[in-house]
Amino acid sequence: MTTRSDATTAHLLRRARAAAGLLPLAALALAVLLALAAPSAGWAQAPNQRELDERVQRITDMLRCPTCQGISVKDSEASFSRQIRDKVRRMVEEGQSDEDIKAYFVSRYGEWILRAPKKEGLGLVIWLAPGTALLLAGGWIGWRVYRGRRHPSADLHGAPELTPEQRERIARDLQRFEEED
Amino acid sequence: MLTSWKFWVVMAAIAGLTGLFVFGFTVNPKIVPSPLVERPAPGFAVTELNTGQPLDLESLKGTPFLLNFWASWCVACRDEARLLEAAHRRWGQDGKFRVIGIAVQDQPEEARKFARRFGKTYFLALDNSAGDISLNYGLYGVPESFFVDAQGIIRYKQIGAMTEQVLSEQIPKLIASKEQGR
Repeated sequence: MTTRSDATTAHLLRRARAAAGLLPLAALALAVLLALAAPSAGWAQAPNQRELDERVQRITDMLRCPTCQGISVKDSEASFSRQIRDKVRRMVEEGQSDEDIKAYFVSRYGEWILRAPKKEGLGLVIWLAPGTALLLAGGWIGWRVYRGRRHPSADLHGAPELTPEQRERIARDLQRFEEED
Repeated sequence: MLTSWKFWVVMAAIAGLTGLFVFGFTVNPKIVPSPLVERPAPGFAVTELNTGQPLDLESLKGTPFLLNFWASWCVACRDEARLLEAAHRRWGQDGKFRVIGIAVQDQPEEARKFARRFGKTYFLALDNSAGDISLNYGLYGVPESFFVDAQGIIRYKQIGAMTEQVLSEQIPKLIASKEQGR
């Protein structure tokens, strides 16, 4: 004779066996999910790697190759440049800022290592000089054009205006040439 | 015809550009003053090329030294090799001064061969493959040498091959400053 509690126990056992039978299926589902998630995790990391590469390229483009003439560390294949590129990458991976990395190289090599001069002191003069020269030249040309329009009789080549005596002499000479013809 | 002030402006511009041109020829673009001179020498830790004996900057405190960066593939390093060895024998025997050579971007066996060929007996070591010591010392190439006083301050940097004149000017100065500091 079976009691009520025996029936409940048997029922629970049947359910447990059924659940155990589903375990391989659950494992398979989990594996499929992981397989599907893996590429997306890869995609999630890719932009970080890209950002890191871009930062390394940007920073090494600002640094001058120590053993070359006029080439950035980024564009140089010299062994010292390769070591600098690796060092920059390590510093970026350690979480150092662009300014920290630049400061490290400036402290070792001086301002010379930067391909663009800093916008302060003499560096600021170097930055401003071409623009200032262009502005001055443009202003001078503009002023000459403006003056030429305001005073059409004024000689733009800077020759002085003719005196009455000179005009008279020119007229005399022209008349003489006509008579000779 | 240019008016007087325009003539002088043009002349001044030509003179300025000529001056800049002449100045450019008198300066060697490869010789850049190091910001490390008159500042503490960056730390380093190395092991001797043959014996494996360790050495770091801390252990050199109190002794002036010459830190020479070289490589077995470097032609100019051959020119200075015997000079450095002579300096080590002349000033480095009584512990008042040391000569230390660090090979950069080199292979241990190649560096050892070079050392044997030129009879180097002073402390020789190898920078790591990442070039950490070279980068910390702001190296532009090899050979380059740093004269460091007993307090660990870089007093002079030689770019290019070492000369007898530089050695005989700088080393006695470092030794004298150490003795005065006592």
